[in-house]
Amino acid sequence: MQRKTHYLLLFVLFLLTTGMVAQSKTVTGTVTDESGMPLLGVNVLEKGTSNGTSTDFDGKYTITVADESSVLEFTSIGYTLKTSFVTGKTTVNVTMAEDAEQLGEVVVTALGIKKEAKALGYSLTEVGGDELSNVKQVSAINSLQGKVAGVNITQNSTGAAGSSRVIIRGNSTLTGNNQPLYVVDGIPIGNDNNGSSGTYGGSDGGDGISSINPDDIATVSVLKGGAAAALYGSRAGNGVIIITTKNGSQKKGLGVEISSSVTFDEVDTSLTDFQTTYGQGTRGRVPSNQSEAFDLGLSSWGPKLDGSSVVQWDGVERPYSYAGDNREHFYRTGTTFINTIAITSGSENMSYRLSVSDLDNEDIVPNSGINRKSFSLNTSAVLADKLTSQVNVKYIVENATNRPRLSDAPGNANYSVALLSPNIDVRDMNPGANPDGSERGYSANIYSQNPYYAAYNFSNEDSKNRIIASTSLRYEILDWLYASTRVGVDHYTRKATNVEPWGTAYKVLGGMTETEGRYTQIDADVMLGVNKAITDKFTIDGLLGANSNHIKTENLYLGGDNFVVPGFEDISNLRDQSRSRDYQERKISGIYGSLGFAYDKWAYLTFTGRNDWFSTLSYPGKTTPNNEFYFSVNSSIILSDVLELPSFIDFLKIRGGYSGVAGGGDSAYQLSPTYQIFGQGHQGQTLGRINGSSVPNADLVPWEKDETEIGLDLRLFGSRLSLDVAYYQNETTKDIVNISTSVFSGYDSATANIGSLENKGIEFLISGTPIKTEDFSWNTSFNGAYNKSEVTATNDDGNPISLDEPRTQNARITHIVGEPYGSIVGVSYNRDDTGNIIYDIDSDGVPIAQEGERKILGEGVPPLTLGWSNTFRYKDFNLGFLIDGKFGGQILSGTNALGYSTGLHKTTLEGRENGLEVSGIDGDTALPFTTTVAPEDLQTYYGRVSRIAEEFVEDSDYIKFRELSIGYTLPEAMLEKTFINSVSVSLIARNLFYISRSIDNVDPESTYNVGNSQGLEYFGVPSTRNYGFSLNVKF
Amino acid sequence: MRKILFILSFVLVLGACDKGFEELNVNPTAPNQVPVTTKFSAAQLYTSGERYENWRANLIYSSTMMQHLSTTAGYWSGDKYTWNKGYASSMIDRIYGNAIKTVEDMLVQLDEEEQPEEMKAITRIMRVFIYHRLTDLYGDVPYSEAGKAVITGNLTPKYDKQSDIYADMLKELEESVAALGSGTSGFGDADLMFQGDQAKWKRFGNSMMLRLGLRLIKVDASASEAWVTKAITGGVMESNADIAYIQHTVGPEGINKNGNGEAFSADSNPRMSKTFVDFLQDDPRLPILAARRSDGSTAIADLKGLPNGLDSQLLEEATGELDTDLYAEPNRSIITGEGAPMFYQTYAEVEFMLAEAAERWGLAGGDAEVHYNAGVRAAMKMLSIYGDDAIIADADIDTYLTNNPFDAANAIEQINTQYWAATFLNEYEAFANWRRVGFPNLTPTNYPGNETGGTIPRRLTYATSEQSNNPENYAAAIASQGPDVLTTRVWWDK
Repeated sequence: MQRKTHYLLLFVLFLLTTGMVAQSKTVTGTVTDESGMPLLGVNVLEKGTSNGTSTDFDGKYTITVADESSVLEFTSIGYTLKTSFVTGKTTVNVTMAEDAEQLGEVVVTALGIKKEAKALGYSLTEVGGDELSNVKQVSAINSLQGKVAGVNITQNSTGAAGSSRVIIRGNSTLTGNNQPLYVVDGIPIGNDNNGSSGTYGGSDGGDGISSINPDDIATVSVLKGGAAAALYGSRAGNGVIIITTKNGSQKKGLGVEISSSVTFDEVDTSLTDFQTTYGQGTRGRVPSNQSEAFDLGLSSWGPKLDGSSVVQWDGVERPYSYAGDNREHFYRTGTTFINTIAITSGSENMSYRLSVSDLDNEDIVPNSGINRKSFSLNTSAVLADKLTSQVNVKYIVENATNRPRLSDAPGNANYSVALLSPNIDVRDMNPGANPDGSERGYSANIYSQNPYYAAYNFSNEDSKNRIIASTSLRYEILDWLYASTRVGVDHYTRKATNVEPWGTAYKVLGGMTETEGRYTQIDADVMLGVNKAITDKFTIDGLLGANSNHIKTENLYLGGDNFVVPGFEDISNLRDQSRSRDYQERKISGIYGSLGFAYDKWAYLTFTGRNDWFSTLSYPGKTTPNNEFYFSVNSSIILSDVLELPSFIDFLKIRGGYSGVAGGGDSAYQLSPTYQIFGQGHQGQTLGRINGSSVPNADLVPWEKDETEIGLDLRLFGSRLSLDVAYYQNETTKDIVNISTSVFSGYDSATANIGSLENKGIEFLISGTPIKTEDFSWNTSFNGAYNKSEVTATNDDGNPISLDEPRTQNARITHIVGEPYGSIVGVSYNRDDTGNIIYDIDSDGVPIAQEGERKILGEGVPPLTLGWSNTFRYKDFNLGFLIDGKFGGQILSGTNALGYSTGLHKTTLEGRENGLEVSGIDGDTALPFTTTVAPEDLQTYYGRVSRIAEEFVEDSDYIKFRELSIGYTLPEAMLEKTFINSVSVSLIARNLFYISRSIDNVDPESTYNVGNSQGLEYFGVPSTRNYGFSLNVKF
Repeated sequence: MRKILFILSFVLVLGACDKGFEELNVNPTAPNQVPVTTKFSAAQLYTSGERYENWRANLIYSSTMMQHLSTTAGYWSGDKYTWNKGYASSMIDRIYGNAIKTVEDMLVQLDEEEQPEEMKAITRIMRVFIYHRLTDLYGDVPYSEAGKAVITGNLTPKYDKQSDIYADMLKELEESVAALGSGTSGFGDADLMFQGDQAKWKRFGNSMMLRLGLRLIKVDASASEAWVTKAITGGVMESNADIAYIQHTVGPEGINKNGNGEAFSADSNPRMSKTFVDFLQDDPRLPILAARRSDGSTAIADLKGLPNGLDSQLLEEATGELDTDLYAEPNRSIITGEGAPMFYQTYAEVEFMLAEAAERWGLAGGDAEVHYNAGVRAAMKMLSIYGDDAIIADADIDTYLTNNPFDAANAIEQINTQYWAATFLNEYEAFANWRRVGFPNLTPTNYPGNETGGTIPRRLTYATSEQSNNPENYAAAIASQGPDVLTTRVWWDK
């Protein structure tokens, strides 16, 4: 209904404007610099309109303008604006003058509207597509890490095909989705996570943004604040990342671009430094027989390795000596090939770009990988006089196999490989299956999986077919008035099969699931815009629009347990089968407007306002509001244009603004309790129950977020040095929160408008060109952001909100009033008043550390992020590197905790020969004691210490050498006589090494999911170093 | 003029902005109510329990603490008195979210729909059954305010004192049995236990009153006697036809299966405890309950029990034995199936309680021996519910009773040791009765690093999530009951 209204409106607009068509004309020309060199990428704009084009490699352009009175404006970074009349001319050649003030920079803002950067009263960072495609990754968005101040990207240890967590200016909801809105070619796309791992394991099913082919990306604009995002509505409350994909040019003839890259991933074994001198055993002695070796599993509490012959889990006696690094033995070199061919073509009235890309990844975990084929067609055309259209279609096919299981032990090869005793060679466990298909277990703990069985016999496969399409029409009604409409769809189906095979130790008859999901998002806008000079100095631009967003998800699930015929893995072969379906549908409608004033090109003021209606807050009979109006105002003033400033200051702008946004929550059907008939009955009787484990809330209203921001943009010394600083503070109130309820309430959580949180932060970007000669240049930029978050309200009683806990179950990520977002709260040592640790002395005299209360041990989200990137160019060579760091956060390492209990951690070496001296307070007598823990009792002592979360929470600070690329572009002279236009090759590397790192044995970035519970590490896929080559050829 | 028209068009759109939104947010996949009968069937299966808590609370903890089962596997914490908090709280973690929540919701629905009183009475007896297991296992637990988040909005229920819970449960039983008549209740066949037979529910209600009354023996002997008297007068179970149990099926889903059976399917570690096998030496139940792990042999000579509290190294040190497959395990061809019955309360238990009542107070006719013999006979005969392989001939029972006659001098110990044998696999009950009366005489283990100082635990511990999700009430419960550890005794166990 909503959409039909939009179409109708557009039709009315056309009718109203019929008969106003004037005589248009086409103008061509060449743009050169003062030395006569053609200038590429100069923006050519018909003044007072948004009709524009840009120059090609030869500096040539073609533009169709309204009539003889049209005026062309030429803008390019580093050059002064040039204006030219077209009256009586069909060719307009222009020479641009260099300008230190760089006034004309045009950026993509909300709703795809291009604006001069200087007019913006808020912070926007634009990143060129080459930043993302230069050092390619399976998910392009990871390449933004360290490059944009205020954007905090967490790369997970979930495998190459895993998801990313991107947070802009801090988290804005306590339990909802905190990731930004992704807008691709003008339309919002889905970024749902298709499964993630939690306390009890699971695998990362990948996210929505990773589907975008890095080679197709032209630019990425990051709209950080609410002001920038107001026009996208509630979904933009977390910031917006606008991705514009490459389009063809109006250059005549065919252009072909081929990009190829290969990347190799190797496990970074330098991160973990476990002991390699004591082998499998218990109480300082080796297992005496196969049964005991099997029972001991991952216990490295044996004697010093001495090369003697000792029986192992499979009954084979092997030398009791270090078997080498099992990660090197088990993991393979991962490879990622990305090949893209793009064809561009154009004519006067039309341009298009067609690209086909194949990404083929083999992950380091054997038998695991992802293949992605993407097809992209972007066309833009002048359909009729004043009527232009754009159609963008992407079709993406993703097939992932054996996404690695993470976190808890079952099915998780990483767990076993990380914890095997130094004398056990993982390769002895290959093959993982007995001839009958059952697991060759190595431990009496049936949940410790044979890694080869996990990799080769467990299986999961998923395939996703996705289409992202958008079409837009724009009609220039008058030279200052236009109407446009845009409809986009993001639709995918995803089928996933997951098999725990017959013969699995912990699930003897096995089981499997088949799920098929459908996701559809349709987003439509109609818009009317004006851009008019009222006087010589005073212009206004404004727009009025309406938007409808409609999301439907549906999942069908078939599953069950107990294969009847061993080895035949199909649903039909399951003795016990079950099925279910879930469905969600939600809509948001919005009306919005924006009005901007510009005075004499140095003072700008913009207002926006929007009202959103939320289906998720609507229910028959509901009396509280289901909609909310919010607005923004921001301003920028170019002080350097109005004040007398020292001559070394080229440009000085101050900006500031306020913005509001409101939202309706992420889930439908949260307002009223429902029931369900479940299962397949029992002995002919039907089973019924309350549906779900969250307490609904009939009075839910929109959440609100306010943000204020001030900023400064300064350029000095002929723009060789520039500084961009922003200070912001935002507050979310009435957050729609899933409060954790007492387990005794019968529910896991309750939905309420209760939470509130604040973020205050500062962002800076210093960039400069210290050296610039004809042959050599050095560009450097340093960005940083400090975000201080504070939870200001949770529930009525101010009780903490509990998020996830790690498998060790001795800690939990918790929101606590007055504390930063996501505190790590865990078991501490029990200490006396002076801080001495209190112990129980057990019957054998072993001091057993008492478990103290659960305390705040750290914060999971590092508040300070820094990035330093550099590009050197010498003639046709270029070299770039990026160093980034995060500071101020903490991480709870499950690897170190299990390192203690299994005896792998180097700390546990002390006392193995002569005993460990421990002093503390005896809990019984409250008196100090000092005792020596005998070597055979060390495992009891460390077993208890391993439960104390406090011992394993450490700073997650790091400085990493993130990226390195060395490139060479063939001199044009060499190609002059060929059909090739340009050739460049690069040597690329990522995640080379940590320059510094506060935590031992684990990667400080190795969380195992992208949810709100950050700061937990537990047996993800080991971190890798990545090396590769890329080649780019243009014809 | 045109501008005005544009603006007008937008206003038109605005008016329709949330058209259809109310209906859109009505969940199309879930009804607003379901028949109360369907909830009753579900509540009964939930009470029987899922694999999760049966594996952890019933088997890993209770069965090994009670030395019915035994294992060298390290994660079987109950054998070694070590503290796995997640295992310990597993019954709380599951039962409140399914069984409790469902019966509380049923009571509201029965009232709203003005259903017959007998349906409410049956639901209330069911509720008492669910709660008595929880409070026996944990002590003070949320009772009056629990499971009602949607009904009352209470997200953080207070913990009720066990003394208050017991008082209310006994009152509930008293009122409920009084409300029951004869014939079939409105639940009909949706009642998976008694197919709606009100008389059987009445006998079950009184038998539960007998059980709860006896629980008070240490803390208030006269109240104990009064409730036992009232229960017997009201009429308790009279034969194995009155046994309260759920017949499970092997599928199609977890909810249908016997949770113990699912755990046995997944876990090959448990063995029969030496304590239990030794007790069963001349008992015709032994080859039905036990079989040798390695080959399934049920020859008595092949059935060796595994000592409790050992890991494989300690086992080797203690016995010289390495291969745990040579020990007996629960007989996988008879009692460990996923379709096996799950017993809530049996007639045999009732007879043993009557024997104790006769012995202590001269109740139930005053002849403890009669009830003892009836209890032993019922305990052996009821195994036939497991199937035809589990039928014990009357002659074998007679022989057993001849060899193991009632021993008046040690009546309480003998009766309760038989009670212990009869509650094999209903370990919650075995654990509660052992704490109540102290029999059978179990020798505690003393595994290195155990948490109890080498004593058998007296309760299991609360969910750790309570420390953050319900901190005030959790703290109040600890202040009232004592530290949240395995050795703290519940109110009736003081």
